[in-house]
Amino acid sequence: MHVEWATLERTGAIVAGIVVAVVAFYALYKDWTAQGIENQVFKLMLLLLGVGALLAILAGAGVLGTFPKGA
Amino acid sequence: MAVASVTQGFGPEPPADALYLETRELRLQGFLLFLVSDCVLFSSFIFAYLYLRNSGQGWPPPGIPRLDVAFAAWNSVLLFGSGATMHYALENWKHGNFMKYMWMLIFTIVLGIGFLGGQAYEYTHLILVDHASWGGSGIFGASFFTLTGMHGFHVFVGVCYLTVLLLQSAAGVYTGQKYFGITAGTLYWHFVDVIWVVLFSIFYLI
Repeated sequence: MHVEWATLERTGAIVAGIVVAVVAFYALYKDWTAQGIENQVFKLMLLLLGVGALLAILAGAGVLGTFPKGA
Repeated sequence: MAVASVTQGFGPEPPADALYLETRELRLQGFLLFLVSDCVLFSSFIFAYLYLRNSGQGWPPPGIPRLDVAFAAWNSVLLFGSGATMHYALENWKHGNFMKYMWMLIFTIVLGIGFLGGQAYEYTHLILVDHASWGGSGIFGASFFTLTGMHGFHVFVGVCYLTVLLLQSAAGVYTGQKYFGITAGTLYWHFVDVIWVVLFSIFYLI
């Protein structure tokens, strides 16, 4: 059975991306009520981390980052 | 001000830990200012790239192939995953789970090295294999290598920092209350992750 590297990379990006997104958003949910400047920064960064993981999932699924030939 | 009285020698000499806790907020503010300044540095390069991109006739320029999105997505997930492990390293430290903290820190370092390896592979491929097109890639190649290279350097510094944290933690430098170095390391690593979210989007996705 021949599997292309790109397929493996895309599958890995989707699976690992889901795990990272879940972990990031769960950590954000847990820390939501935490006070203090340090925790506010952590919350912002966890949110952006989750968004990044979602972007990686969408890129792996071919929803983002695919362009028509010659574009 | 408690801090002022300590530094100017008024009143009884407090224990070292009390002084540490009093100055912790100042350290945190200083470190956040450092991150803001780094953010300004990246922002200037990012906006320069976006300006060039919008002023050109099509992007990437003719003859330059699109970057490999599948590989970049996989490599990005490695870095984002390291952000999650680093966050849980700090959480485990706060809850007193030393071994879990150490393992999470090790995972973070390994994933960071994995990301750097992926970036080295991508650079090698672009420079050696796609040399015909990337050799004369002009402003596009310059922007790409400058921004991703600068980010890669930050990741490298972060990996070195986390390795030092690991060794210091093993040596017992940090205690239950004295762990600002770990907090700073976590903030820095999250910052590096967040910058990559932007770079990944502008170079590979749009």
